[in-house]
Amino acid sequence: MAVFVAPGPVTNPAEDNGMAEGTPDVKEARRMLGKGICIAGVGETEQGIISDRGSFELLAEVTRTTLDDAGIELKDVDGIVTAFSFVESTLMHSTTLADYMGMKPGYFASVAVGGATAPLMAVQAALAIDAGLAECVLCVRGDNTRSGISSSGMIAMAREMSHGAYEAPFGLTTIGGYGLLAQRYMYEHDIPQEALAAVVATQSEHAALKWNAMLRNVVSVEDVMNDRWIATPFHAMDCSLVSDGAAAFIVTTEARAKSMKKKPVYITGIGEGFSHQYISEAESVASVRDGLGRAGRRAMEVAGITPQDLDVAEIYDSFSFTPLIALEGFGICGPGEAGDWVLEGNAKLGGKLPMNTHGGLIRQAHLGAMHHIVEAVLQLRGEADDSAKTEFNGGNHQVPDAKLAITNGSGGILAATSALVLSSEPPSAA
Amino acid sequence: MSEKPAYTKPLPDLRPEDATFWEALKEHRFILPCDDTGKAFWYPRKYAPGTLSETSWTDASGNGTVYTYSTHFIGPSKAYKGDPPHIVALIDLDEGPRMMTILVKDEEGYPSLDPEDVKIGMKVKIVFDDVTDEVTMPKFTPAG
Repeated sequence: MAVFVAPGPVTNPAEDNGMAEGTPDVKEARRMLGKGICIAGVGETEQGIISDRGSFELLAEVTRTTLDDAGIELKDVDGIVTAFSFVESTLMHSTTLADYMGMKPGYFASVAVGGATAPLMAVQAALAIDAGLAECVLCVRGDNTRSGISSSGMIAMAREMSHGAYEAPFGLTTIGGYGLLAQRYMYEHDIPQEALAAVVATQSEHAALKWNAMLRNVVSVEDVMNDRWIATPFHAMDCSLVSDGAAAFIVTTEARAKSMKKKPVYITGIGEGFSHQYISEAESVASVRDGLGRAGRRAMEVAGITPQDLDVAEIYDSFSFTPLIALEGFGICGPGEAGDWVLEGNAKLGGKLPMNTHGGLIRQAHLGAMHHIVEAVLQLRGEADDSAKTEFNGGNHQVPDAKLAITNGSGGILAATSALVLSSEPPSAA
Repeated sequence: MSEKPAYTKPLPDLRPEDATFWEALKEHRFILPCDDTGKAFWYPRKYAPGTLSETSWTDASGNGTVYTYSTHFIGPSKAYKGDPPHIVALIDLDEGPRMMTILVKDEEGYPSLDPEDVKIGMKVKIVFDDVTDEVTMPKFTPAG
């Protein structure tokens, strides 16, 4: 049975002490997740410029790694959820990959909602499991975006972000589209440029420890401030990377996961939010914050937690500004307060709520929110210490005793957002 | 006055329903689409968003206020290579809707406004720039 989500605002969990209560749609989401739907395996390839491997090759490679992590074989997988490719043109991405890997899955879906895709893939897998369509679903995304992109792929990417008649002809870039919203946000809340730079500096410290991050050098707020402009208010270092690589995770039931190798990480909250498609259509800073914030607030409501309960936050970071408005939308910070919150060091490892402990899209690699989910799972399994990966000069980015994580992805220019709450413990009885 | 260069930037990607708006621009008239209550909306569509009533059109003043802007140091395509920075802005039109535009120095529609001359809240007015024989772009310049 599909979960129907009524549009409109949800209760802010921070203001709601009656966690056992909830609207019918929230109760229905809890019923589904109460089956113990969990992530039983994760994997990621090297990230960066990988010009000697194609898109499907990367997907198959990461599938091998992920199956190994879970301790299962391809024949144990009965569902596949993929995304899309900017390089391999196919309208049937999931079944094309299934054929490439020699699978005959009973459930298949390709999800394409830009940067919101990864958490939506997890939701799609959960729905399929709940409906009895599959029991063990491989969610895999990857591409040789950096090395292999075609000009039609670039045009397709640009089309996602701007209106062909009423935005694109004015010379808008995706960076500038985010810039429009960011400059208005900074104007309304008197946010200094340093707040954006602090996000980059913080995440650079984390990426320095992550074995496969593309950018391993630590940068300061001043370094970011002195970098070249791309589109105000963004310097080059404020922008996410373009990379080749792949990542995957396996969604299954607690019952199945118990026979697998790794400790399951439970999906205890899901939520989505939408405010506009084109940035011209965004009503206000507040409406965008509320639209994307709904995803995280609802995920926390379903999970029965408040922002204060979180141990780690893997927040979509297409630009340095992006996590600031998400932190506010999710109720982790008040409106206009996320900049100071980051400047005070709360987002660092060792801070109040470490954020993007893998370096994020700005320092590790850009694969939508795939790596945010993988990193959240590693954190909750206590496996985010890369010190043993000496060949990659890895370091320890583990948040001690992390039990609860929030992660999200946003497609378009903060248009569509999907969020998950992940937990090391199964959901309490629904 | 600088000589106006040949137009090499992307042109609007128009659908049949866009004809009314762009034909008016060619005649240097600025019109806005309205729903069946007479409320203007943006962007132009055959049917009004939310109600799907058939769109009607109203004359608009071409006056507005800068809601926000982003100074682009790099453009979206090779056609912008070597250009000075251009300023993409969202304008709150006096009639209510908010639209995207590019800010220019004067009524010639060229060149781009200098970055130090723009700020949020600034009053602007429309400029009709005949970029080709077929297409007139609605650009905006500081008012008064």
